Order: sequence, then C-alpha cells, then structure tokens
Amino acid sequence: MKILVVDDQKANQIMLTGLLESFGHEVVCASNGREALNVFQQVQPQLILLDVMMPEMDGFETAPRLKAMSGNIHLPIIFLTALDSQETLLECLKVGGDDFLSIPFEPVILQAKVNAHARVRELSYSLVQKNRTLAWHSARMEREQNVVQHMLENALAENQLQQPFVKSYLRPTSNFNGDVCLGRVGPFGNYYLFLGDFTGHGLAPATGALPVAQAFFSMAERGLSVGDMVTEFNSRLYKVLPDDMFCAALVVEMSANGDRISCWSGGVPDALLLDTRGQLEQRIKPQHMALGILPRAQFNSQLEHYFVTPGQRLVMFSDGVVEACNHQGEMIGEERFADWVTEMLDSECSEAQFRAIVERIDNFTGDTPLNDDLSLLCLKCQATGLEPQAKPQNEYNLPFELRVVLTEHDIRNRDPMQRMVDSLAKLDALQPHKTSLYLLFAESFNNLLEHSVLDMQSELKQQESFERYYEERQSRIEQLQGLEIYFDIDYHPTSQQLSFTLSSNTEHRFDGQHAGHSTNDSEDTFGRGINLIKQVADEVEWRDGGSLLYVSYSLSRPLA
Amino acid sequence: MSVTREFSADQKQLIISIKGKFDFSLVQEFRQAYSHIGDSEPLVIIDLRETEYLDSSALGMLLNMRKSLGSTVKGIHLINARPEVKRILDISRFEKMFTIA
Repeated sequence: MKILVVDDQKANQIMLTGLLESFGHEVVCASNGREALNVFQQVQPQLILLDVMMPEMDGFETAPRLKAMSGNIHLPIIFLTALDSQETLLECLKVGGDDFLSIPFEPVILQAKVNAHARVRELSYSLVQKNRTLAWHSARMEREQNVVQHMLENALAENQLQQPFVKSYLRPTSNFNGDVCLGRVGPFGNYYLFLGDFTGHGLAPATGALPVAQAFFSMAERGLSVGDMVTEFNSRLYKVLPDDMFCAALVVEMSANGDRISCWSGGVPDALLLDTRGQLEQRIKPQHMALGILPRAQFNSQLEHYFVTPGQRLVMFSDGVVEACNHQGEMIGEERFADWVTEMLDSECSEAQFRAIVERIDNFTGDTPLNDDLSLLCLKCQATGLEPQAKPQNEYNLPFELRVVLTEHDIRNRDPMQRMVDSLAKLDALQPHKTSLYLLFAESFNNLLEHSVLDMQSELKQQESFERYYEERQSRIEQLQGLEIYFDIDYHPTSQQLSFTLSSNTEHRFDGQHAGHSTNDSEDTFGRGINLIKQVADEVEWRDGGSLLYVSYSLSRPLA
Repeated sequence: MSVTREFSADQKQLIISIKGKFDFSLVQEFRQAYSHIGDSEPLVIIDLRETEYLDSSALGMLLNMRKSLGSTVKGIHLINARPEVKRILDISRFEKMFTIA
C-alpha cells in the first residue's frame, strides 16, 4: 500500500518511514499541508498519516482538501498528534479524519491501525469499481431498450386503432407494455381488433408482441378469418415464448356493415356486449386457453359469432382494469366495472363518455401504484365506412400472344384452367382480375368441352343428377383420344384488353347460342355459364360458323 | 381442406368456409358441410373471404344447397365476398335468393 506521511519534523518522517517500510508499505513524505497536496496529485497515495501542527498549512485544513481530491474512493486519514486534549481529537474527526495515533506509540498499534484502514480503503475501491460496472450495464441496457422500443414502434406503425368507431386507452406500468392493442382495416371494409395481455412486463412481452403484431397486420390485410389468425398467433408464440409465458387475448372482427361480430377469446376478462340502450346484453366469456400454451394440434380456434345492430357496443379490457386496486387493496372487480360501463356509456359512446370511464378508474385507484398494465377498448357497432380495397392498377406489362394446346392428358383429373390463370395472375396487371379471368376461361372451356367435345346434355344437371352429370363427364373424358383444344390468348396492355379464342380439332360445333337458355333470374342450377361469360366479358362472339369462340375482357373495368 | 364447417359456440350459426377454388370438384365436400345440421334451425353462413375462383357449377351448388335445406335453416348468408366474387353473385341475381353481406 502506498502511504503519504505528512509531518514537519524530519525525525518523525524517518521513524514512520522506517516502520511502515518494515511492514511492507511504500512511503512518500511531505513536510506540510501544501506540499502534501502536491505530492498527493503526483503519487496518488491510498492512506494518509497527517500531523496536526505544521507550518504553511496545518492538518485540519489539509484533511478536507485531501478527501476532496480523492473523489468517490474513500481515503483513510490517520491524524498524528502529540496533543491529547479531547478538543483536538474531536476536531480531527470533524474535519474528516478517520482515526488518530498519539505519539509516542507502540509500533504494533500503528501496524494494526494501518491494516484496518487499508481494508476499508480496499472495500471502498471495489465498491467504486462495481458501481462503474453497474453504470456501464445500465447504460447499455437503456440503449438496448431504446433499440427494442424503436423496433416495436416501427412494427406498430401500421396500427389502425384510430377509427371513429373505436376508443382505446392504454396505461403501461413500465416502458414496455405487456398489453397490446392493435387495430387493422380488412380488404372487405371489415375491421379487426386485437387485445393482448402478455404475462409479465418489460422487454420479454414486448419481444413476444413483435411477431404477433406482424402476423396480425398481414393476415388482416389479406382478410383472413379470426380463426386462422389466432391459430397462427398461437403457433408463433408457442414456438417463441418460454413455458411460463403466454398471451391472454381477445381477437374481434366486425363486418363492413357493422352487423356482425366474430370473436375468439382466451384468458381475458369477459368482454361486455351492450344493447342499443346501453344495457348489458351478453358477456363474452373466454372460451379458450391463452395463446402460446397449447401445441397446434390441441389448439382450438372456434369462434363466437354475434349479429348486432348499429349502436351496440363491445367493451373489452385486460385484467389490469378489473384488478386495479384502491389504497385499501380493494379491486375494481368485474361486477363493479360492468356497472360503471352500463351507467356511463350510452348509444352515442362519445369520447367524453369513454374518458369519464378512464377517469373513474383513475379516481378509484388514486395514487396506488399500478401492478399490471391496463388497457380498455370500446368498439361501436356501425358500418365502418371503409371502402373495399382494390389494389392499385398502375402496373404495366409487355404485350404477348400465347397459344396453349391441351390434349386429353391435360384435362384428366386436373383443372388446366386454374393452372393457366394462376400463371397469368403472376403478372401484376392481371392479378386483380384473376377471379373474372378464371370464370371466363373455365366457362368457355367447359362449354366447349361439355357440349362440342363430350356432347353432354345440360339437362342432366338437374338437382338429383348434378353429381351424376359430373360422373358422366369424367367417364367420357377418360375415353377421349386424339383431342386437341386450342387456347389463343392475346394481351394488349395499351388498350387494356385481354382476349382469347377457343377451338378444338373435333367436328362438333359450339353449343353457344343454345347453351345459355337459362336466365339470370332463374333458380336453375345449370345453364348459367354462357350468360355469365356474356356479362363479365366485353365481347363474346362465335366465329367460323360456331366452331370458334372469341371472348374479350377489359382490364380497365373497375372491380368493386 | 378447402371446405371447412364450424358451428358457432351457441350452435345458432353454421359457418362454411370455402378456400381457393369453388367448383364441382368440391361437390361432395360441400354437400357434407351442410348435412346433419340438427333441429336447431341454424343460420347458414357461407364465408367466401378466401374464395379466389368460382364458376357456374359453384353457383349451381349454392342453389342446390338452398333447395335441399329449405326451411330447416333460418336463412343462408353469403359473406365476405371479394369485389370480383361479389360481381359474379350480383350478375347472377343471388341477392334474391340469399342474403349477401
């Protein structure tokens, strides 16, 4: 240990240096306080032996300055004093001295005191080191939390919770919310809501929220059913989350005209479906276990469906709401909360009414700290007013002509039309029209195949023989030999036209004009094919005396 | 499975979903989906959200279903049709025979 001896008497310096060096310490000397301050800066001693009476600067003045220079690390100062008055000793302690040693002394006392204070110094030093490490980790933690928060915010940027018919309130207990509220518009003008409550708070649930949010947004965009959604969420979370973590959730879909609600509920408190007067009509109880617990094979995605009328409301919340406590430890509870909701929300379901409920929760809990995240959603049943979303059609593809020749091998046990449309739909400009194109292709092809190739009578399609008709069709296909069907497709991007002709190497004529005898209004189960073609296509024409069918379709026609 | 059938928890609705292509290749699967519906007079809901392709045989199968169920059900709703599918239902005047939502 490096020790600084401060004494104006050379004899004392020599005596102390000798003793301390014999105990194995390294010694530096100074003759007064001012010199001691200089030496301290140069050699950074770990313990000070300080005389009281010195010229220039005495011990009482020097001690606090040395302490200050040592900063956070404890610097033991032992006063050397010949004086034995109580006042002097008290003063030594007052100015920051840790101990004193009266001269003359027994060497063994010096050794014991130096060793004792060396231990304190060592402790203090390691404490400072640990604090430094802690501070480093804490800063790093904060940086990493910021990164995750940023990722989460990006992932939730697609959130479409702000809708005139949705009210939401979220109060997290920490930076990261264990509760997640998501909303998203579907492609039919329908709307999806997700209320999730992950076990725990902080980083871990936030990490679980990422894959769920991504799956929710993309599946909602595709207009998938809530059943398919929760099945996907569950398998993602089952894979990702540790055994003791899961996500209680309520997933809801409201139809575009607001008359139908489908929900899946697992592990959250009952959602409250209110009638138009604001009375409780139905408690939607959780039917399932929370997400992330059961393997796919055991997971149950069964939904509940409700027909609703405009003005009804669905109020959903995490257990943080009903388990919020006042200062006496009393919880709000499901009953009390349901009373508040029915009392305070009328059919208007205004922002003010919603805020009033939030305020009531706040008033109840007072300044009692929250022990769970708290989220509250209110969905007002009404037509969403959201337009079905058609994809933008500004894609341009190159023009092409394509001849497809089908033989009997291509049509046995296969649907060549689906394959053709699947391939064509890979072009961006044709993709939004694939349903219409399929209809045109399939109806034209079936008409040609069934009437001029297979010579089927469409009357066979009467109710009793609908299936027999297709059995007969299949057996005639099996017997075909040497058939060739020619599909000539012509695509003009500039005129936004896709046309095709269809013919075959058989002798029969198209049954065109006769096949479409069934009108749109009829309830006949057959004979609609040609009528459908006529109405979906721009132009339909039998050419070459009925042996070739020409169909033209406009890609500029609005879909919705 | 391209045809799935599910009763709602309260047994009042039978939801049949058709994924991908709806045509005569599903004739048996589809018939199965609306058989054995019990005495509860459920509402039958055909969810077309994932129906990408359909042709006249699908329309015929829907009409067959309507004839065969008759008054044993509360009604038949066709829901979540994509714009293109909706147009085909409109052309066929299906709103006169089904509730299209």
